[in-house]
Amino acid sequence: MASVEELREFLPRTDCRRCGLTCTEFAASLGRGELTPEDCPVLHEPDFAGYIEALHELLGPAPAAAPAMHIEVEKCNGCGICVTMCEYHLGNCDEARLGRGPRPADKVVFKVVNGAVVVLHQELCTRLVQAAEKCNKCADHCPTGAITLT
Amino acid sequence: MCLFKPTGVQGKVEVGQQSVICTGCGCLCDDLDVAMAGGQLLEVSNVCLWGLSRFFPYKRFHPKKERRRILEPLGRLNGRLQGISYGAALEHAAEILGKARRPLIYGLTNTGSWAQEAALQLARNLKARLEPADLAFKAPYYHSVRKHGLYWAPLEVIRDEADTVLFWGANPLHSCPRHLVRYSVFARGRFTERGVEDRQVAAVDLYRTEVAKFCHLFVQVDPGQELHLLKGIREHLQGSPGPGPAVKGTRRLAGFLSKAEFGVIFFGRGAVYNQGLAVLDELGSLAAHLGEKQPFVLFPLASDFNSGGLYHLLFNELGVPEAPDFGHEGGLLTSAAPGDFDEVDAILVVGADLFWFLPEDQGRALQDRQVPVVSLSPFANRTTSCSQVVFPVALVGLEAAEVAYRMDGLPMVLKKLLPTAWPSDREILLDLMKAV
Ligand code: SF4
Ligand code: SF4
Ligand code: SF4
Ligand code: SF4
Repeated sequence: MASVEELREFLPRTDCRRCGLTCTEFAASLGRGELTPEDCPVLHEPDFAGYIEALHELLGPAPAAAPAMHIEVEKCNGCGICVTMCEYHLGNCDEARLGRGPRPADKVVFKVVNGAVVVLHQELCTRLVQAAEKCNKCADHCPTGAITLT
Repeated sequence: MCLFKPTGVQGKVEVGQQSVICTGCGCLCDDLDVAMAGGQLLEVSNVCLWGLSRFFPYKRFHPKKERRRILEPLGRLNGRLQGISYGAALEHAAEILGKARRPLIYGLTNTGSWAQEAALQLARNLKARLEPADLAFKAPYYHSVRKHGLYWAPLEVIRDEADTVLFWGANPLHSCPRHLVRYSVFARGRFTERGVEDRQVAAVDLYRTEVAKFCHLFVQVDPGQELHLLKGIREHLQGSPGPGPAVKGTRRLAGFLSKAEFGVIFFGRGAVYNQGLAVLDELGSLAAHLGEKQPFVLFPLASDFNSGGLYHLLFNELGVPEAPDFGHEGGLLTSAAPGDFDEVDAILVVGADLFWFLPEDQGRALQDRQVPVVSLSPFANRTTSCSQVVFPVALVGLEAAEVAYRMDGLPMVLKKLLPTAWPSDREILLDLMKAV
C-alpha cells in the first residue's frame, strides 16, 4: 500500500480545504479507505487530468486494510507527546526521541502537521511486527485520548 | 485581499523553510518546517494547535469562527469603524494620544523586542504609563527573585538535568503545549536519557486537568488554600510541622520535593489568581530553601511569546522590571501592580487584547467614559472592535523580522518569510512618534 507521502504527491497540495481537510489529511484519509480520490473537487479540474487514475493505481485494487490507528483530529492539540514516545521513533528518529519535531526527510510513523497528528508511514509501527506484547505507547501517553489503536 | 486562503495556487510546492520559529508562546519552538507556494503558506509541520493560530487565521478549535484579518486601517466615523488611509489613521491616532493627559500604552508581551523599544520611547515622549499585559503574573515573581535570590537555568539545562518537576497553577497543555515534550516532562536529555521515566512530576491546581494524566502526584486544592499548603510544605521540610490540620497533600508534596537532585517549580497564571504576591513570596522562599542543597529553579510559564523581552528591556532601561509611569509628577514612578483605569484618558494597545483580559465591569467603565482606544493588531478582536483607530499589522516572525526572548531569556532572531502589504508594529510606532 502506498504511504501517505506518496499519495500526497498526487494531490494538488494547495490545502484549499474544499474537501474540509488539508491535502495531507486528505491523503491520510485516502490511505485509510475513508475517502476516494474523487472526493477532492480540485482533481476534477483539467490541470490534474490523470491524477485520479494514478491515485487509484497507488491505492491498489483491494479495499484498504482495516485502520489500525485512528486519530481523532478534534481532540488532538498537536502537543507532540506521541511523536516523542513512539517506540519506533525511539530507535529510528533522533529528533523525535529528544523531543523535537522530526526533520522533513526523516521517515516516521506520524508527525504533527498543521496542529494535529498525521499518520505518514503506518507500516513502520512496531505493532505490525510484534506478535505478543503489543506496543501501546502513543495512545497510552496522549493526554487528550486522541489515539485509538485496534 | 486575503493572504491566507489559497484558492488558485496550483502545481508543486515551491519553497520550503526549515527550522522556523513559532511565536505562539514563550517556548518559541524553533523546529517548524514550512511549505509555501506563490507567496502563500500551505503547511506547517511540528507546530501545535495553539501555535498554528499564529500562522493561519483559522483555528481548528472553532473551525466555523475564522479570525478575520484586518485588511486596512480603520477609523470610527459616526460610531462605525470604516476603512481610512494610513495617513489619516496616523493623524487621528496622534491627535488622540497627543491630547491625552494620562495616556496608557498597554500590552506588548505579544510583539517583538524592536517594537517594545519603540513603544517605550513613545511612552517617554507622551509622558505615558506603560503596562505589560502580564504584569500581575510577572511582577510578583521578580519581587520574589529579588527578595530570595533564586537559582536560574535555561530550558536546555532543565531538560538535561531536572529530575523533579512541579507545576503550580499551570496547565502547560493549554498555555504552551510543546513545553512538556521539548523540555519539562517527556524530553530525553543528557542526564535524563529515559525521559519521563527519569523524572518525578507533580502538579498543584484548583481543578483536575489533563496534566494529571502524567503526574505521579496531583494535589487539588480549594481556592485560598495555596498559602497554607506552601507554609505547611516548608515547615515539613524544616522538620517542624506546625500545629493544626495541614492541607491534604502537604506531606506527600514535601516528600516529593525533598527527593530532588535538580528541581523546578513551573508556575502559571493560576499561582497569582489569589494573593499572587504572597503566593510567589512563599514559592520563592520554598525554592530558596530547597536550593540550599541542590539546584532548584522557580520558573514562570509565560504564555505570551515575548514577555521575557519586555521585562528585559524595562530592566535594562529603568533598572526595575515593572510598569513605568513617565507622567507621574515628581519623576519616574514604577509599579508592580496593574494600575486602575480610572485616570486613563487614552489607550494605545499593542501586542495584546486588552478588552478580552479586562473584567467586564472595567471594560464597560472605559467605554462608558468614552476613553478612546488606538489598537495595532493583525486580527480583529475585542479590542479592535472597541477602538477609535485600528492599524492592521504584519505578523511577527512570518511577515516581519524581529527579535524575541524565549521564556528563559534566550534572545532569538525571527525571520520574515512572506511578503506583506502591512507595516510592522515597530514601523507604526515610529511613525506615530513622528506624528505626535
Ligand atoms: S480539496 Fe483537494 S486540493 Fe483542496 S485541500 Fe482537499 S485534497 Fe487538497
Ligand atoms: S503503537 Fe506504533 S505508533 Fe504507537 S508508539 Fe508504538 S510503534 Fe509508535
Ligand atoms: S495525538 Fe495526543 S499526544 Fe499526539 S499530538 Fe495529538 S494530543 Fe498530543
Ligand atoms: S509550544 Fe508554543 S512555541 Fe511551540 S509550537 Fe506550540 S505555540 Fe508555538
